[in-house]
Amino acid sequence: MRRGFAIDFSCRAPLVPKLSLVPKLSLGTRLRPCHPLVSTLATTFLFAGLTWTAPPAENPTGVARPESSKDVAAESMAPADKPVEPDHAARMARGLEIFKTHVRTVLEKRCVKCHGGKSVESEFNLTNREGLLRGGDSGPAILVGNARESLLYKLINHAKEPHMPHNSPKLPDESIKQIALWIDHGAPYDEPLAAAKSKDPRDASAWTQKRVGEDARQFWSFQPLKRSELPAVKNQSWCRTPIDRFILAKLEEAGISPNPGAEKRQLLRRIYFDLVGLPPPPEAVDGFLQDDSPNAYEKIIDRLLASPQYGERWGRHWLDLARFAESHGFEHDYDRPTAYHYRDFVLRAFNDDLPYDTFIKWQLAGDEFEPENNFALLATGFLAAGVHSTQITIKEVERHRYDEMDDMSATVGTAMLGLTIGCARCHDHKFDPIPQADYYRLLSTFTATVRSELEINFEAEQYKKARAAFDRDHAPFVEALNQYEREELPGRMAEWEDRQGSLERDFPWIILDYASFRSEGGATFTKQDDGSLLVSGKAPPFDTYTLTAHTNLATEGITTIRLEALADASLAKGGPGRAANGNFALSDFRVAVAPAHAPDKRVSIQLKNPRATFEQRGLPVAAAVDNDQKSAWAIDPQVGKNHAAIFEMEPPIQSDGPVILTITLQFKNNTGHSIGRPRLAVTTQKGMVDLDGAALFQPVLRILATPRQQRDPEQSAMLSRWYRTIDPGWQKLNQKVQDHLKIAPKPNLVKAMIASEGLPPVRLHTQGDDLLKETHFLRRGDPEQKEGVADQSFLQVLMTGPEQEKQWRMDPPKGWRTSYRRRALANWLTDPVNGAGHLLARVIVNRLWQHHLGRGIVATPSEFGSRGEPPTHPELLDWLAAELIRHDWRLKPVHKLILTSSVYMQSSRNDASKNKIDRENRLVWRRPVQRLEAEVIRDSLLAVSEALDAKMFGPGTLDEASKRRSIYFTVKRSRIMPMMQVFDSPDALAGIGERPTTTIAPQALLLMNNPQVRSYARSFARRISTDGAMSADEVVRTAYKIALGRLPNAEELADATAFVRRQEESYAAAGKPENRGLRRELALADFCQILMCLNEFVYVD
Amino acid sequence: MNSPTIFAPPSPVYSSRREFLRRAGSGFGMLALAGLLEHKGLLHSAADAAEAYHNPLAPKPAHFPAKAKSVIWLFMNGGPSQVDTWDYKPELAKRDGQELQGFDKATGFFADQVGPLLKSPFKFRQHGQCGAWVSELFPHMARHVDKMAFLYSCWTDSNNHSPALFKINTGMTRMGFPCLGSWVSYGLGTETQNLPAFVVMYDTLGRGIPKGHSQNWGAGFLPGMYQGTALKPQGAAIDNLSRSPEMTDSQQRDQIDLLAKLNRRNLEQHPDEAELAARIESFELAYRMQMAAPEALDITRETPAVHKLYGLDNSKCTHFAKQCLIARRLVERGVRFVQIYSGGMENQLSWDGHNDIAGNHGGFALETDIPIAGLLADLEARGLLESTLVIWGGEFGRLPVAQKSAKPGRDHNPHAFTVWMAGAGIKGGTLYGRTDEIGHKAVVDRVSVNDLHATILHLLGIDHKRLTYRFNGRDFRLTDVAGFVIQDILA
Repeated sequence: MRRGFAIDFSCRAPLVPKLSLVPKLSLGTRLRPCHPLVSTLATTFLFAGLTWTAPPAENPTGVARPESSKDVAAESMAPADKPVEPDHAARMARGLEIFKTHVRTVLEKRCVKCHGGKSVESEFNLTNREGLLRGGDSGPAILVGNARESLLYKLINHAKEPHMPHNSPKLPDESIKQIALWIDHGAPYDEPLAAAKSKDPRDASAWTQKRVGEDARQFWSFQPLKRSELPAVKNQSWCRTPIDRFILAKLEEAGISPNPGAEKRQLLRRIYFDLVGLPPPPEAVDGFLQDDSPNAYEKIIDRLLASPQYGERWGRHWLDLARFAESHGFEHDYDRPTAYHYRDFVLRAFNDDLPYDTFIKWQLAGDEFEPENNFALLATGFLAAGVHSTQITIKEVERHRYDEMDDMSATVGTAMLGLTIGCARCHDHKFDPIPQADYYRLLSTFTATVRSELEINFEAEQYKKARAAFDRDHAPFVEALNQYEREELPGRMAEWEDRQGSLERDFPWIILDYASFRSEGGATFTKQDDGSLLVSGKAPPFDTYTLTAHTNLATEGITTIRLEALADASLAKGGPGRAANGNFALSDFRVAVAPAHAPDKRVSIQLKNPRATFEQRGLPVAAAVDNDQKSAWAIDPQVGKNHAAIFEMEPPIQSDGPVILTITLQFKNNTGHSIGRPRLAVTTQKGMVDLDGAALFQPVLRILATPRQQRDPEQSAMLSRWYRTIDPGWQKLNQKVQDHLKIAPKPNLVKAMIASEGLPPVRLHTQGDDLLKETHFLRRGDPEQKEGVADQSFLQVLMTGPEQEKQWRMDPPKGWRTSYRRRALANWLTDPVNGAGHLLARVIVNRLWQHHLGRGIVATPSEFGSRGEPPTHPELLDWLAAELIRHDWRLKPVHKLILTSSVYMQSSRNDASKNKIDRENRLVWRRPVQRLEAEVIRDSLLAVSEALDAKMFGPGTLDEASKRRSIYFTVKRSRIMPMMQVFDSPDALAGIGERPTTTIAPQALLLMNNPQVRSYARSFARRISTDGAMSADEVVRTAYKIALGRLPNAEELADATAFVRRQEESYAAAGKPENRGLRRELALADFCQILMCLNEFVYVD
Repeated sequence: MNSPTIFAPPSPVYSSRREFLRRAGSGFGMLALAGLLEHKGLLHSAADAAEAYHNPLAPKPAHFPAKAKSVIWLFMNGGPSQVDTWDYKPELAKRDGQELQGFDKATGFFADQVGPLLKSPFKFRQHGQCGAWVSELFPHMARHVDKMAFLYSCWTDSNNHSPALFKINTGMTRMGFPCLGSWVSYGLGTETQNLPAFVVMYDTLGRGIPKGHSQNWGAGFLPGMYQGTALKPQGAAIDNLSRSPEMTDSQQRDQIDLLAKLNRRNLEQHPDEAELAARIESFELAYRMQMAAPEALDITRETPAVHKLYGLDNSKCTHFAKQCLIARRLVERGVRFVQIYSGGMENQLSWDGHNDIAGNHGGFALETDIPIAGLLADLEARGLLESTLVIWGGEFGRLPVAQKSAKPGRDHNPHAFTVWMAGAGIKGGTLYGRTDEIGHKAVVDRVSVNDLHATILHLLGIDHKRLTYRFNGRDFRLTDVAGFVIQDILA
């Protein structure tokens, strides 16, 4: 407002809502404008907090600000007669006076540094009036003319938190008073505050360029792997493996002697639960105890590592990290019925000992590394496993997409690198050297990544072989046909043509040649030589075909139309319908006609007297012309053959010239029941017309009318293509080809959920796009505050070598659908020299250690940053990581190293004196007692009751009564199986590396009262009492051996047999159940249930 | 900087405390372990156990003296309309039928069904000494306005149910964070060991559960023991509470006795494994809970007068009345946190009045008005209101403009909604904050969800900035990095 007018008008300000505290305005009093603008402004009614945005030219101090979801500023209201106060100008002048003499200094000295100067805290910038009125995160800062109701006043007056100025002394009372007065007088500015003018000119987006210094790499986990010398130890004979030396050295230093070795029986249970998650069967116990060979233990380890149950056990650990689930979460928690393939991939990968670096690469970019390898494609289910809102409003599209990419990055960070990358979303990581900029660069890896369902050809190799064999068999059929076409067909065609007298008589039907054809549902039509259309591609639930054709026949009067539905080998059951059973259901058949010169003048034709080759019961052909879109004509069970229906025109189509016919076929009766190969023909014959009379293709008619010598090659070829469709010899040979084609092998296509780019995303109820074109740097993580496009890179602290991120990038082949960004990420992650590979290796070997020994060398297995615990044995950790890489990243050799160490083979025994020195067993002087996980507890219950169904892989179930291993329970986010949940299985929302182990009463209640558990106990009882001749002692001994891998001692045996006897008597006394055998079974079940509840059953020592 | 968790003193003890949290646990109904185990001589060294274990659900001292011991949160699921319930807007009536110029059509869910301004179909009247305006929907609750502090100026982050539900329950619009009830159980433990610390009740008429399902009462990254126990509407309210029908009480008792004996013998071989001792005790507790929990849920033990007070005799509201009465019985027995959802999942099955706002809200008001008024009266009569904080509200509000429909409804409005609180520590009759003249946006003394949470925690004696939990390397708070206590509504 540089027109010699220094006052900013209060009338631009939001007027106060009707507050009881505000003096009532005298409605209707018209004001004399104090400025040319006022006349318009005065008629603009504004609600409190609703900012009226002045045109730019009139906005002297305005700063542009993006709309924010937190923004309360909003739309103006309909005009209303709201006058400006009569003393407006005078008040503003007074306000300005106060501002200049008092307020400006206070604001500049005490407020502006954080609110518009160095920073803009809470998005509140008071350097000019517009910013003041707009306010910040907490809404408008003032109500013009009403200090008492103004937020700013409340905060500086300490009537409301946060007290301002923040973390510094309260303003002097006089200043507060003056500010209040100023607000009461309209809070005018003469010009923006000084700080705004002299504002630091630094680039607002400087943070996006932030570099991480060399010193940051000094932190232990960012360092390259160190291969240390094996430490010297005194008690060398204790050491079986190099691992033992690392551990023993520290124990000796601390003056702790390692625990003695565990008993053989304990060891066996330990490795069974550790490697396959099941108790050793009694035979295995006997076998091992009797095997005195020096490598008896090693043999069992090898056997268990090679058993398929190893993948079921260790795959579960990885699925915890991958937040694997089979539903979307959020509103509806829709199922992901094809997500289990990722679970199966993980299980197979562990069983096959897929090198860990490949395991990682494929999960991030299997589609980019090996697009032809199903196994690699399925691995990308890792990225797809996170939650996805089933209902995204237009306002949430961006935020949700950033959330989704955050989930991918965060899971990569915690599961693979043990780093909390997600912390850098809103600001530089507070503890680790991960600037916010690195976060967005890494995030951009996933810009185009979407969750998609892909048809995967399982058994592709087998299919290829079978197909080749078929092609070999098929060739002679094709050759016979070709030979016929070369040698016989031309002669026969000539003969046929010579034979023709009246075409009209011999060919009552003229097959229409379509000018256009369209499927509303997006199905694909392919014109066939015989004038039919072959339908393929999309098969929508309901469809409408619209076909048009030109014809001259109307000059003779078209009396009847014929619709054929032809069989075809490409259709299910040979057609003629597209439904899975070969049927169709034509709900509506319509014909309209228009003169060729005036296609818009279309009139409908009445159809009557329909007749058909066959009518399914209840679905007659008449239903196609009854104006009911739901009733229909169908032909089941007469599938796999040609059908036809004819409809008489009422009246016949008569025209002086050519006409356009528009034929509509509707299929709205049954899902997917459209016709697979329709053909239309018309006739000019009057009276009764033959339903399957001979037909001639319309273009052929024209060709036949041309003398043979005058036909061009194209016409001849067309005639030949047509003729053969009616030549009996050709038909016969062709039928043989088609028949043989029916037995062609089909690929085993199965839908699987994967993550990739350029594929159709799984789309739920989203109101906007599924993905964003670019990933931006977001100030404070807010999609409303974008600062440039983030180009892909990785964590600076884990990059060395030339050209930084470029060394892992590669351009995709020309025309390839993905960006290769995930491939670059995977290359960086698995590069132990210049990338993050050394950390990747450390994190995974630590996880192996953690699961085998109860606590990681780094006790925080997913936190390898500065907030995590430092490694207790850094040299050992590096040594194990190096061993992993040396073994070609295979995990099984590392398992074996750990399991055969004296460290692992120690007893679990607690010891008060060692406890005093190392209460938490950081130095690993014992192998602690461990509670089994939820899955292992349930699987063990099933195993001992001999009810376990060992079937592997495939879709899971939500049936609690299922007898399969717990890993095959469907992980539905809103319905985590109660038995899993109560024993601390994860909720699959964020990856976790370590489950809590709680001891809660609901667990006890479950084991005592749950019907499933009770049924396992009864099944266990039946298992041990099959032979009624067995004594109570024998039965109890057997039960102990099955459940605990040992025999009861005398006391236990006495207690147990006494208990069984007592229970049996008590059932007998009650007379329930009547059957003595059943009473015994119940008594035994009561005892078996005790075994299942024992600490010894759920804790492995 | 001091260790931020409420339990833990600073390191180095921290890690062992964390160890305990990770490994020990408890659940609804655990054991004041250290004491118990010592008392029973179950542990070789009770002092060690005391060091290693604290019952995570044992009552814990608050940061400062608490006004509220328990919370009952009456959750009007679906987003009740502020302008049809508590937030009286005469200007809206005046402008009925006018277009709202410049209105952002994407504010609600159905951008293509935006209609003109729509006055409330309900009449408003002033009530109580405070003169609060209440619509005719709530004639019974209106009698209690002097107990309530109204927060007229609440706003939230999302215009969509499940993110908004997650927001108001967990402070985040994303999935996977602990809800308020879980934070409170984690921070304060519970007064009773025989009942869950945190109980949730949802619709019993088969209309579904809130969008986002059990995540609304999930413990997120807190140990699972802190999640809400949702009472099942059909069959047994809590899983596995009744023993197998083929077994008698004494048969089960014998079973548990032998189990304990065998377990104790095993413990002798592992004398310092406190976890094993804890597990022995968990079976005793489970055995007791088989009695205690059904007793607490059994409303037939209440007098006919009480039944009538809650509206159990009124078929329109019997279902909700039962839940309110159970809520009172639960807090009476020391349960820390109770949440009751009114309404089911999909649109018209909850307060989500997209069509026919009059019919929708009219129906749900009938279901809840008498029971809530009864609950307030009953709590007051029993002196429980002094220690119980009662909260009423939904996940967002509704727009002042109509959603077009044969009978007009209202679409979602994240910019304004009303919450009231009553009872422990609340200054009754407080009218706090204000929306604009048509009730579209909160403008005066705006209250964020973080502010609500900070205030509720404050009433429970917890400083929301000091209640933290470390997960995947970060100390999380319910209020993230925000939240201010609303001092003006505190007594």
